[in-house]
Amino acid sequence: MKKIFLILTGMLALVPAGWCGYEEKEETSINTNFIAEPISPQCAPAAQAPAGDYPYYGNAPDELLPYRNIKPFYQYWLTRLPFRGPGKDYPDPIGLKTLRIGLLSPPPYGPESVRGEMSKKGVMLAIEEANAARQPSELPFEVIEKVDSPQWGSAANIAVEFADTNALAFIGTIDGDATHVALRATLKTEIYMVNCSDPDPSLTETQIPWLIRNFPDNRQQGYLLARLIVEERGLTKIVVFRANSRPGRVGVRPFVDAVRRLGHPVLQEINFKDGDRTFDTQVAVIKQANPEAVVFWGNPAETGPAAAQLRAAGVKAAFYGFDRLVDPDFIKLAGPAVAEGATAAYPFDLEKTDPAWTNFVARFEKRYGMKPDIYAGYAYDGTQMLVTAIKKAGPNRYRIRDLMAAIDEYTGVCGYMRFDGRWDNIAPIVYAQFLQGRWHFTPAPKLKPVKTAAK
Amino acid sequence: MKTMLNSLTLATGIALLFSLSGTPDVRAAETATNDLPLPFPLIERFENFHVQDGMPTHKVHCVLRASDDKLWVGTYDGALVREDGKFRRIGVEDGLSHKMVLCMVEDKRTGDMWIGTMRGLNRYSAGRVTTYLQTDSGLPNNVIYGLGIVDDTLWVATAAGLGVLNLKTGEWTIYDHTNTTMHEPWVYSVAGANGRVFVGVWGSGILEYDLTRKIFTEYRDPDRDFHFELVHDAGPINDVTSWVAWDEGILWQSTYFGMSRYDGSRWRTWEEKKSPLVSNFINFIWAHGRVAWVGTDRGVSVTDGDTWVTYRANENGEGLAEITRPGQPVETRTMATKLPNDFVLGIWADDQEAWFATSDGLGHANFAASPKSAKVATAK
Repeated sequence: MKKIFLILTGMLALVPAGWCGYEEKEETSINTNFIAEPISPQCAPAAQAPAGDYPYYGNAPDELLPYRNIKPFYQYWLTRLPFRGPGKDYPDPIGLKTLRIGLLSPPPYGPESVRGEMSKKGVMLAIEEANAARQPSELPFEVIEKVDSPQWGSAANIAVEFADTNALAFIGTIDGDATHVALRATLKTEIYMVNCSDPDPSLTETQIPWLIRNFPDNRQQGYLLARLIVEERGLTKIVVFRANSRPGRVGVRPFVDAVRRLGHPVLQEINFKDGDRTFDTQVAVIKQANPEAVVFWGNPAETGPAAAQLRAAGVKAAFYGFDRLVDPDFIKLAGPAVAEGATAAYPFDLEKTDPAWTNFVARFEKRYGMKPDIYAGYAYDGTQMLVTAIKKAGPNRYRIRDLMAAIDEYTGVCGYMRFDGRWDNIAPIVYAQFLQGRWHFTPAPKLKPVKTAAK
Repeated sequence: MKTMLNSLTLATGIALLFSLSGTPDVRAAETATNDLPLPFPLIERFENFHVQDGMPTHKVHCVLRASDDKLWVGTYDGALVREDGKFRRIGVEDGLSHKMVLCMVEDKRTGDMWIGTMRGLNRYSAGRVTTYLQTDSGLPNNVIYGLGIVDDTLWVATAAGLGVLNLKTGEWTIYDHTNTTMHEPWVYSVAGANGRVFVGVWGSGILEYDLTRKIFTEYRDPDRDFHFELVHDAGPINDVTSWVAWDEGILWQSTYFGMSRYDGSRWRTWEEKKSPLVSNFINFIWAHGRVAWVGTDRGVSVTDGDTWVTYRANENGEGLAEITRPGQPVETRTMATKLPNDFVLGIWADDQEAWFATSDGLGHANFAASPKSAKVATAK
């Protein structure tokens, strides 16, 4: 009886102290060298992304949809995936001297180095302009540049370094492998990623709600080429000549699928290795197929010599490719005569005369002494989008994410952008044809009407 | 008799205590309207640990109860060990290679704890930390998403390949896109099975490694398209695997597109709105017996594939238990307590309790002692 009394007395004594069943919790003792992550009294879930009826499948025409005669059991990206974790109510960190933005650049000695350098110029110009225009009460932006290495997985380590340096977001990169790897790390570090240059169509298909891409990807470019080649130009004997790499394999897939859906599957898909300069075996095989169109999917260092060797072997097919065919190195390595008539999908007309673009070109030339290309343009626009979001959200990664993820439309120096349910820019693109020594651009077609939850 | 008396005494004391304090911790169990048994335990009450309760950060990535009964917790800033009701932190200053701890696995034969971080692998043994980096070992990459131990080998899922460390010889083997069927070497998780290892790969579905025959078999999404699930129950729901778990012959795959189950002959898949799955975005799956605990961005579900219970907060912030039995309408119970946060990143559960790593704290679940709840099989 005495025992019962003691137990009850002991337990009742705990009630006024707010005991809730686990006294060991109150005895918690821990090191105090916590990280500087902001402390939140209440972590409310993030707001849901707007539920809109977003353009489906990259705004592809109905005839290019896979399994289009079957109603799939389940469809994704009809709405945007929200981020439901806490963080947007975290108080701003104290003692910031700059607003840090990471820049993941490709290796300076790799195949993407020139494009990477132009991207960096676009980023830096946008940051310089933002800092020049800031009010005295505003913190300056600071770019933390990290250069990737050609080793698989290097970009993941760099994405972690951005977290270690308290970057609010980061921009990059071009190589599809590196971008994928970095994106995967962002899901853990929860740092928003702005991509302005990777054409990999699968990048945004991974359901990571920490990414926006303003660069028209290989899906947009592949569909345009497929319709141009098959429907407009009536060419049906098509050969693909692509890099034997992940960008080549994954990048050309939308085109290959599209021409098949249009009733004319490619005759051959021939590979080359990055670094190859002679293509005797491939040229012989392609010549035997006697194609009407050869579609290149690779970098100009290989596609330029390949085009020259195909012509020298007597292949009369028209040449096509994605935006890298417009790279000056393609003309240089193939030769103007071989390149005559070559056609490429391209994001926009580089010779457009709207004030936004021409003013940007003038500022860029003044700053760097050279004309910008599409990589500089999209990097500038992407940085501007991010700067605007950071200014509005303050130094909070989650609020920055929410603002970036809510973008449906944007008009920058590159032109109009419309973002779909995966945060991909699906605005219409153009094609460029090399005629008499220069590239000629067609106007972009009108965009298929779509509903969006426009902001 | 003495034991019975003590139990009775304690139960009487607790009942009296609750009646006096008004604490409605067991309200959920008391308001049950459906008495059908569940094939797994029902959570009665959550006890949560936030920053103010000793967590070094909001984000808690993983949790594991070791064979010596100590609780290990991986956070955004170091690992925690819970001993005698207190959390002891192991951080960079203690030799950990990076503050962000993403995963842990125990070598039960030695008691060593292997700790995967966003920069390097660590072995915690007898109070000392030994690190393994890609620059000083055979580790394929420093970002480590998952760990598993099978016999004498430690399997390490990294951002650039699957590393296998022979714990006896110290020899490393790397599996990636050059020597397996994985298209990209982006490995997310590993799960040991009887004579096999399942590997979750980001973009290549699931690989099964046969330890005897030393060959890989791949399981891929049959429609190979990320925009839709063409036919359900046809294979892995998607090739972007976020986690794999295995127990008692059942393989579970989580993705950001839903989840899948494979029993060796038949695949089943679940998507939100077309099944009781509360969200397609699944961070983690824990398998215990023939039951899976599913960590999503909208709460936790526990299921055997037919019956589901989901624990989450409603719009008013109240805790809910949503019970879905085959062929019956969803039964919703309000709970006096709830998860620390519905964004769940890691789980550990057995027949007695469950722990949840979330984006805002660590949660501990006590199960209802309902005699109607069928006991979960424990054989591994």
